[in-house]
Amino acid sequence: MERSKQKQMNESENEADSAINGHFDGRVKIPGWSAGGAAGTPSTAPSSSVMESWREERTRSLEDNELSLPSIAAAYTTILRGLGEDPQRQGLLKTPWRAATAMQFFTKGYQEKIIDVLNDAIFDEDHDEMVIVKDIDMFSMCEHHLVPIFGRVHIGYLPNKRVLGLSKLARIVEIYSRRLQVQERLTKQIAVAITEALQPAGVGVVVEATHMCMVMRGVQKMNSKTVTSTMLGVFREDPKTRDEFLTLIRS
Amino acid sequence: MEYQKAAELNGLCKGKIVTEYLCRNGFSELTVDSKKVSVQHKTEASRKEAEDESRLPALEAAYTTILRGLGENTDRQGLLKTPLRAAKAMQFLTKGYHETIYDVLNDAIFDENHEELVIVKDIDMFSLCEHHLVPFFGKVHIGYLPSKKVVGLSKLARIVEIYSRRLQVQERLTKQIAMAISEALQPVGVAVVIEAAHMCMVMRGVQKMNSRTVTSAMLGVFREDPKAREEFLALTKGAQ
Repeated sequence: MERSKQKQMNESENEADSAINGHFDGRVKIPGWSAGGAAGTPSTAPSSSVMESWREERTRSLEDNELSLPSIAAAYTTILRGLGEDPQRQGLLKTPWRAATAMQFFTKGYQEKIIDVLNDAIFDEDHDEMVIVKDIDMFSMCEHHLVPIFGRVHIGYLPNKRVLGLSKLARIVEIYSRRLQVQERLTKQIAVAITEALQPAGVGVVVEATHMCMVMRGVQKMNSKTVTSTMLGVFREDPKTRDEFLTLIRS
Repeated sequence: MEYQKAAELNGLCKGKIVTEYLCRNGFSELTVDSKKVSVQHKTEASRKEAEDESRLPALEAAYTTILRGLGENTDRQGLLKTPLRAAKAMQFLTKGYHETIYDVLNDAIFDENHEELVIVKDIDMFSLCEHHLVPFFGKVHIGYLPSKKVVGLSKLARIVEIYSRRLQVQERLTKQIAMAISEALQPVGVAVVIEAAHMCMVMRGVQKMNSRTVTSAMLGVFREDPKAREEFLALTKGAQ
């Protein structure tokens, strides 16, 4: 199938980036980052990996969803039997279909591209102060145990002549979180997507989440939270900017 | 008895284990055979572990199918062992099917002359929605009015574990916990309240983040006497 050939191609190209999901190239070379420097106009010397991820191909379409539903549902029936339950009892009769549809919903990020979501909502504004959208509820799936992760995302960026519609930040979070994820990668992908869309002076993303794989099973620590952050551009270089961001998301 | 039906609804062997327990009138018959029972249970427990192991390959294959069906690449590093981990995680999350009230309660019932309310509250509970196979979790508050017999406190939490680590519906879970305590101790009354967040409602579907579902089961004097019920609810309110 064409799709799997494409995947193989990508895999051989990006051997070092084995920990990626979808076709997104985890390697990012941000052109022109320097202390306090602006990135200038958007199209100056972008590296190939930046353009690649902007043109990221969808791995799944709605038709694919429909086509694969029966096999996923059959797999869930096998799982129910394997756990010792009776798939014919009233409460479980339609469970394989519901669970399959639910799982497709939890991974709907594979169906969407950043470019579709952002295309129109970038505006030229002469604003160069920090913009923060915080407490964005995030729900993801742990790629190791297929168990939910949920928490909050705080995003801040320092625009450079271009600002983004605010809900688009939340939509970027949705696209990357509705996948089989690792929290570190999720944080980075969100930061990189915003960087590529706007070429801002800097981006900061903080994700604070509870992992059900740690709470419901395994070590079973109810109140533990995992916090990851990605600071790019001036957020990485200038400690004062970073401080301002972190203080504003605390309050 | 109307109570019997609910406990038959989920469990291994279509509830045979649970119905066997329900058919006896209490623990007096069990004490005679207690040694035999405990030996039986040891072999049963190890048999169940072996059963789990033997079912693992089928579960793994099913998870691999699911991952492929979702469009993921099952050969990438992060997903290589995911079918195995997910299968084991699912077995852990449904381990309540292997456990019986016998195992958990056998020794910890004591004769005490206490006839006041005993409450264990804020018991963290994690279960799986049987309709979407997605977690729901929350807190369980249990109260009972003993009648000559009290139970070890952690056993109440263990009863919650047994019934919650299954594919459940919150209403049934509440009732099963209440009935199990009722039959083990024959108390004057039992009250169970569960407040939970359902990920199937929060992560998908209607997507209401802050909604909570509260269910309760009141048996015996808690059902008949409004004052007893009020006392229980007032004492557990501070928790929420």
